[in-house]
This record gives sequence, C-alpha cells and structure tokens, in this order.
Amino acid sequence: MDKDQLSAYLTDKSEGKLTLLEVGRHDPIFKVEASQLIEVCTWLRDDEQLKFDFLCNLSGVDTGEQFEVVYQLASTSKSLRVDIKVILPYDGAEIESVQKVWAAANWHEREMWELYGINVKNHGKLEFLLLPEDWDEGFPMRKDWDAPDFIRMPEF
Amino acid sequence: MTFPVAVLELYPLFRWLSGVLESFGFSANTVLIISYAVLGVIMFSALSIIALFLVWWERKIAAHMQQRFGPMRHGWHGWYQTIMDAIKLLQKEDVRVASRDKIVYFWAPVICFVAAYLAYIVMPWGKNLIVADFNIGILYIMAVTTFTVIALLMAGWGSNNKYALLGGMRSAAQVVSYEIPMVASILTVILFVGSMSMVDIVTSQSGWIFNWFIFKLPFGPIAFVTYLIAATAEANRTPFDIPEAEQELVAGFNIEYSGMKFAMFFLAEFINMFTVSALAATLFLGGWNGWSFIPSWAWFLMKTFGVVFLMMLIRWTYPRLRVDQLMEFAWKFLVPVTFANLILAAVIKYAGWHW
Amino acid sequence: MSDLRTEEYYLNMGPHHPSTHGVCRMVLKMDGEKVKEIEPHIGYLHRSIEKICENRTYAQCIPILDRFEYVTAMSCNYVFALAAERLASIEVPERAEHIRVIMLELNRIASHLLFYGVTAMDIGALTPFLYGLRERESILDLFEMTCGQRLTYNYIRVGGVSRDLPNGFIPKCHEALNTIEKKLADYEGLLNENPIWLVRTVGIGVLPAKVALDYGVSGPCLRASGVQYDLRRNDPYSIYDRFEFDIPVRHNGDCYDRYLLRLDEIRQSIHIVRQALDALPEGDFKAKVSPNFKPPAGEVYARIENSRGELGVHVISDGTKKPLRVKTRGASYNHIAVLPAFATDVLLADLVAIFATMDVIMPEVDR
Repeated sequence: MDKDQLSAYLTDKSEGKLTLLEVGRHDPIFKVEASQLIEVCTWLRDDEQLKFDFLCNLSGVDTGEQFEVVYQLASTSKSLRVDIKVILPYDGAEIESVQKVWAAANWHEREMWELYGINVKNHGKLEFLLLPEDWDEGFPMRKDWDAPDFIRMPEF
Repeated sequence: MTFPVAVLELYPLFRWLSGVLESFGFSANTVLIISYAVLGVIMFSALSIIALFLVWWERKIAAHMQQRFGPMRHGWHGWYQTIMDAIKLLQKEDVRVASRDKIVYFWAPVICFVAAYLAYIVMPWGKNLIVADFNIGILYIMAVTTFTVIALLMAGWGSNNKYALLGGMRSAAQVVSYEIPMVASILTVILFVGSMSMVDIVTSQSGWIFNWFIFKLPFGPIAFVTYLIAATAEANRTPFDIPEAEQELVAGFNIEYSGMKFAMFFLAEFINMFTVSALAATLFLGGWNGWSFIPSWAWFLMKTFGVVFLMMLIRWTYPRLRVDQLMEFAWKFLVPVTFANLILAAVIKYAGWHW
Repeated sequence: MSDLRTEEYYLNMGPHHPSTHGVCRMVLKMDGEKVKEIEPHIGYLHRSIEKICENRTYAQCIPILDRFEYVTAMSCNYVFALAAERLASIEVPERAEHIRVIMLELNRIASHLLFYGVTAMDIGALTPFLYGLRERESILDLFEMTCGQRLTYNYIRVGGVSRDLPNGFIPKCHEALNTIEKKLADYEGLLNENPIWLVRTVGIGVLPAKVALDYGVSGPCLRASGVQYDLRRNDPYSIYDRFEFDIPVRHNGDCYDRYLLRLDEIRQSIHIVRQALDALPEGDFKAKVSPNFKPPAGEVYARIENSRGELGVHVISDGTKKPLRVKTRGASYNHIAVLPAFATDVLLADLVAIFATMDVIMPEVDR
C-alpha cells in the first residue's frame, strides 16, 4: 500500500471515525475525535491489513489556539506509516491514555502531561519525568509560558 | 648473644647493629627488640616498594596491552608515577561518611594492611633469608591472609553504604569458597614434602628443575593451575574481582574510603597479589632454587614476578564472572577437581610411583 | 531458622554510576543481589532542545540537534534536514545524497565500535574498550578532515551538506574501512568465543519480540529479537534503495545476540560506504536554500535508522521561518522505558549487561 491507497483504505473502513486532514508531505495525517481514540487505535493495531503495532512517537503540540496530540504509528510487518491527530480545546484538555494499545505511550504521555498540561486519563502513573520533582512553574512547552527569571535549584 | 632472626644473609648487618647497641649499654632483650624492629622496617620498606612497583607495572602492562603508553611523565616511562600518587593520596583530605560505624570504619583498612604484611614473616625470600621458619609456616600464611576478608567485611559494614555492603558480602562469600580449593591444592604439596615449614618445602625441590613440584606429573600441574585460579580469586582480581566490580558496585567495599585509607586498601591488594604469587613460586616453582650464579633472592623474585605477570595478563584480557557463576565454579568444579587431585596424589605417594 | 527474616531494600543506581552511561538513575528494589523491580528516573540531562528549536530558524536548529544524540550527531543533522526538506519540498543534489550516506554509515560504524568497547567494559573486560576507541578514532579523523569537528558536526544541512569532501578523503576512507574490517576479526576473536563472555551474555536479558514492539524498541535491539525491521528498507529515505546490503536479524533477543548483531551491522555499513564511495557522482553538494527559508504550513514526521534505532523528528511549520514545534524521538527513550518490563528478576551484574547491550545514550533520552 502506498500512502494514497492507505488514506483511501482508512477513510473507507473507519466508518467516519477518521477524517483525512492532509495526504501529507510524506505520510497521511488523520484526525480523530478524542472520545473515539481508544476504539480507533485498537482497530488500527488489530486490523489485518494495517497492523499498526509500533507507536513511533507521540507529540503534544500547542498551536497557540488549541492543543493537538499527534500519534505517529508504524506497521512493522506491512511497512506503513500514518499520523493520527487529536485536537483538544485549550481549556480542560484531557485525553485517554493509549497505554493499553501501545505500552510505549507511557513515558510520552507523562512527558506531554508535564510539559503541556494535557491531562491523561487512566494513565496510572502521572509523575514528573523530565522536570524536577518540586516543579511548580507551570507548563514550559506552552506557547504562553514565560521563563521565570531564575529557576530555583532543588534543595539537597 | 644469639640472634633472634634466621636472616643469615643479613647476618653482618645485625652483628654490627647489636655491637653498636651493646656498646651503648642496652640489655640483650632490648637489642633483640630493636633488631626485630629494624628487620620489620626493612621488610616493610621492601614490600612497600614492591607494591608501588606492581602498581606501576600493572598500569604499564595494561597500557601496552591496550595500545597506549600509560604513565610517561615522571621519570623514565613514568617510573616514579606511583610514588607521586602515594604522596598525593597521603596529602588528601580524609573524607569520612557521617553515618559510618566509627570503630569498624577506622580499623578496616588497618587490618587489611597489616594482614597483608603478616604473611611475609615466614616467606623464604632466598637461601637463609627468612624472618622466622615456623614448622607450620604455610598454615600460618593461610591463617593470616584470611584476615583480609574480615577487613573487607568490616569496610563494607562500617561504610554504611549499600554498594559497600554488597561488596563486603560478595568478598566474604568468594574468599571463603576459594579458600577450600586453594588449601586442597596446597595440601598436595604438603603431602609430598611431609612438612609445613616453608624452608622444608623449598629445599625439597632443590636439585634440578624436574624436582619442582609443578613437574611432578600428573598431579603437579593440576595442583598448580587450580591453585592459580583460586589464588586469583583470593586476590580479588579479574575475572574474579566481583567485590569491587567497578561497573556494578562502583568501587565495592572501598567506595567510601578516600586518601590514605584508600591507599592502604589499594596497596594491600597488590601485596596480596604478590603474596599469592610468591606462594605459587615457593610451592610449585622451586622457590629460590636455581643456578647458583644468580643470587637465590633474585630467583625468588623472578619466579614471583613471572606469576604476577601471568595474573596481570589474565586480568586485562578477560571479562568478569557473575557472582553466582563464581560460586558455581568454585563449588561445582574447583572443589571436586582439587580433592580428586589430592586423592590421586595420595595414592601415588603411597604406592611410590614418583621420583 | 524460623525467626530469620530477609528484607527487600532499595538501591539507588545512578545518576552517577559507572555503567549508566551518563546520568540515568534507576531505583532498584533488591532482594540480596537480585533485582526485583526497576524504576528509571530520567531528566538529569534535560536541555530543553525542543523549546530552544522553536525559537530558531530551521538552519539554526541543526547545531542544536547535534547535541541531541552526540554519538551519532550526523544522523541528528540528517533527520532534521530531511524533515525540513520534506516540508519545503527541496530537491537534494545527487552528490550530496551520496556524501550523506557515506557520513551516516561511517557514523554508524563509529557508534557501534563505541558500543563494542563500552559493553565489553561493562561486563568487565577493560581492554576491548581501547580497541574499539582506536578504530573509532580513524573515523573521527575522517570527520574532522571533512567538517572540522569530531563530535558535533553540523555538517549535513538543509539541501545538502555544508562543504564538499576534501581532497584525499576517498583513499583515506577506504584505508580506514580496510583497517576496521581487518580488526573486526580480532575483536570477535577476543570476545565471541570467550567462555566468560558467553556465560555473561548468552540467555541473559531476553527481550521477547512482542514486548519489544509494544514498547517501541527499535533498531538492533528489535532485530536481535527476531523482527526484521530496518527503516533503511522499510521506510526508505535518502538513496538507500540503490545500495545492496543485508539486514542482519537474530532470534534469541539476549545480550549476546544484541552484541553480535551490531558487529554484523558494522560489516554491512562498511559494504554500503564502499558502494557509495564508488558511485559518488560529480556535481553540486548543496541545493540553493535561503538561510531563512519559510516552508509552507504543514507537518512532517521524518524518521531514520540510526545506530540505536529509530531516530525521528516531528516538525510542524506554520509558514514562518521558525518551526512551530519540534519533537524529537530517540530510540534510547524507549529502550530505557522497556527495562522494567523485561529486566526484572535478574542479578545486578546482569542488569548492567542488559543496560549496556541496549546501547542507551542519555542525551537522547533527556533531550
């Protein structure tokens, strides 16, 4: 399957849950509603033609108006690639954890939570990963975050 | 007056010394004590120099095996590098952990250091060059070298550090296990000599080269190899250096020691290596026996350094065993082999099938 | 004996520990020598590369990304250049593509040689470390000759490479490859059949393929578990489809396989570099790209196979000269995250061997 066939297949078979945003410079990008995320992800992983068994990456994005969560999926047996994007409102951004589908999401979701403040439901272990344990300066990857003049060193 | 020591080679020195002391009006007992003290200083200096040399030598061997030069700055090929290192360590601040067990922490390096030196009381350095020839010499050596393990356990416990504790426990398990095959290999020698005196062991191997115990076929070479393996473990060297496995336990039992205390552990380790090599030379390689145009102490040193060299080559070639594999090797392979060898030797001795 | 009681305790391995390859901290729940649970803590080397990149132009991002994974900085340069080129639809000249392949593969060899040395050192053999570094040195000399740097190259730029290959590069490269190929046999002779090496690595730390895929383990660690997945074949980039090479795969997934697989990969990389050197065409080494070019709005996730696994970068452009978002994905990130899933109930010494053969590098994890 090349990327056009893949986009056609996904649009056909997903019963309207996946909307094509862009065929993409390299890989197709699809949009999915946050409520249907787990369902779609499980289907993508288990479908015989797709077998997206590999979560390459999970990015949180702050576009200035909204949050986006992008799941970059790959299929090791079929050599396919697709991006799944969830668009979240700026206030009360919350998303379901996809750890049950791909365990690799664990740390990526923790990171997204601490850097963007996107809450992850059913994660199980939302603790600071990259930031210091006593960090309370906000969410540093947000566009409206101002770096504090100095950052307190942790006490030893 | 009777001289307290069996160091006949150094006889003129001690006669001169006691003459001088007696002319000052010291009593015979005082002279005796002072003579022992002088002897102790000589032994201590000689061993310290050897230990410092071994550190330098090991670094050079490692460097040349690894295609580099090693220490090159201080003197010819960096020959006084370790002396400078020792001076540096002497000057360093003695950093102590606040939560240490004060007494145990302090005494561990001392015991380790002293135990390392004690073995040399009965070590035959050359013909007539031995401090005291006990009739249980080899047993004495086995006894005092085992002190080291107590010191390592103390260091591991006293440091109040989990890595150090793991290192101490590992070293206790290791040394106790490898003591058995080591003693069993030594027993084959004792069996033939019929004496535990170090001088007797050496003189029984005099004559020509095939009197050396290593050439007593078939059990001599086996005993030598098993002894060498056990001795490598006893001296905590790669592939058996798990008590201070740098990549696992950072530094093992000496992780919390710095400055002079660390230097004491470090030197004791090299002296231990020299001790087991000297024992190998004495027991299996004929000790100070050799052609007489080379002094006997030179023969002893050559043989010992040969064994040390072998141990260094092994250290810089092999990876390290894991702690459970180490134990398995000791109990499932080395102990049966050494005991079978011992029985074989006993049978041969009883039947008289040897020269 | 009934009143004897054993107690599990916590051992803090790192951040400063000789075998955590940087500043990874693992809190181990230990039962004697046995590791019961692992909890990795990362972030000690966090330099906020992603945030910095949002305030740089695309060309300025490349030297920042050099620091992302400094052992194979060429691939970090390349993956960002690839993303930017895909975003802005820039055609790269043939010669530049060949030079890039040469550099990427040389860097892979250098990284695997470092792996060889470091792994041997972690398992207790100190000498191979220096041997590995010695041959790596000859490759670093080649890089120094090409771009003046030995670690962070900033050589592969958007649209090509920063300068052409210097005079005398090709014969020197051939010479270095021949030496490495010859020395590789020595390396294998030193460790492959060594009984102590075998008992320390064979059957230790078996990573099942299913767990590996689930946790996003990629690269040699995944292929050692029996999954043939190499982005040079499965998601081709640059001109890798023109070269002939094998993807080594092994099936046991233990430390020994991960180690052998990397040695095999060195051979394949040598093969690729030789082909690329022979096929090197004349021509431009860089397309004309404005330093402040503005790619049209859109996003792309570029991923390549570097020596550790999948190196990806997700770049979003909003039509200005600075990227809206740069998310980097290093293979080591997943390689540490997978440790609690399979490296439990091993001895402490085994954990060190597993950690070493996963070939984790911390700057890639902490970013």
